Amino acid sequence: MSADGHPYDHDHDHSQDHAHDHAHGHDAHEPLVIEDEAGNIEGQILVAALQALLVERNLVAPGEVRREIERIESPGVHLGAKIVARAWIDDDFRRRLLADGKSAVAELGIGVGEAQLIVVENDPATHNLVCCTLCSCYPRSILGQPPAWYISKAYRARAVREPRAVLKEFGLELPAGVQLVVHDSNADMRYLVLPQRPEGTDDLDEAALADLVTRDCMIGVAVLPAA
Amino acid sequence: MKPRFDAGDRVRVLDLGKAGHVRTPFYVRHRVGTVMHRAGAFLNPEDLAVGRVCGPVVPLYRVGFAMVELWPDYAGDPADMLAIELYDHWLEADGLPSQSDGEAP
Amino acid sequence: MTRGYHDIGGAPAGEIPIVELPWLQWEKQVEAIRNLLGDGTRRMMSLDELRRGFESFGEDKYRSYSFYRRRLEAMVDILIEKEVFTRADYEAAVARARATWEPPPECAP
Repeated sequence: MSADGHPYDHDHDHSQDHAHDHAHGHDAHEPLVIEDEAGNIEGQILVAALQALLVERNLVAPGEVRREIERIESPGVHLGAKIVARAWIDDDFRRRLLADGKSAVAELGIGVGEAQLIVVENDPATHNLVCCTLCSCYPRSILGQPPAWYISKAYRARAVREPRAVLKEFGLELPAGVQLVVHDSNADMRYLVLPQRPEGTDDLDEAALADLVTRDCMIGVAVLPAA
Repeated sequence: MKPRFDAGDRVRVLDLGKAGHVRTPFYVRHRVGTVMHRAGAFLNPEDLAVGRVCGPVVPLYRVGFAMVELWPDYAGDPADMLAIELYDHWLEADGLPSQSDGEAP
Repeated sequence: MTRGYHDIGGAPAGEIPIVELPWLQWEKQVEAIRNLLGDGTRRMMSLDELRRGFESFGEDKYRSYSFYRRRLEAMVDILIEKEVFTRADYEAAVARARATWEPPPECAP
């Protein structure tokens, strides 16, 4: 196997606009390293090798890996949306959620695998943004895997340094006088933004409210438009 | 280990000069912030990273920093804040002479 | 002051690549294996150990590998460190897996 793990020539797939495909030139300012087809095949080979070694040593069983994959596939935006919608309609729940996120979401049957969930609430004077500068900490047990941009160098580097410019790239410009609080999830807590309930939604039921909620507004790079 | 700080305390982040896995980012070292709240106590990730699980647990705090104090040319609103989790041993009360730091920020 | 190459909060950086990428099967497999090895019955791959792994395997690798590839490589390094298997065992397993995925070129007629 060659040093960079790619044993043969391949075509680069230039289907993504912003992100540069996996280049063996090791550009130091690579915005996001994405595996091309060869890289993904390499990934498959390497993880298959790893699994084979572990299975041989009775450290994992193939069935276990399959079940764990199913388990980690199951959380997603729908769980976060459920939490947000409940908080919007039930003020006592909202208070419990802000005081102890893990216990509150357990009431909804949602198990949080991480140490604690801190829910940070947007209001007319405050907007919250979540990042992880050191790696990729994200409330995976609720929202599933983070989007590629969240773990990109640019987001991790700039969210704590020039958050308003970052929001602008996502098309969000905060009104004057709104305080922006950036949360760097660097240790044991995980964060979820409770967005403001959009105007004109008073007549919507909990399920309809949940349908409005997007992943990006629970990370803080978006707000929900008025209905 | 008893927590040395509580909500409202002004704290300075130390640079412990530690190699290896640490969870205190470079950009907050030497900065002064305010403890927002205690966040429990956990095994030290610096130890966990090398498989040492014997403890003791270390108190964790959420600490808030004014963006304008972190970045000299911060262009956003002066009220903008950064909130981050810091372990007890990385903090000292602001106002005390700095003992562990060797270098100026 | 020490600053790891992963410790990039505040570092200069360009535009954010606002893309959505699919989460591929091999990537899920990496995460699943990490979770299992880190569970209460095994305790041989905590998140902090995994992080130490990619924070210390070198800046070139860190910058040039994709996210899940980094985690995979870090896991292998840590498991070798713990003597779960040797580097030679791993290379041999990779060669066997590669032979399954990439059949050898056909001989010329």
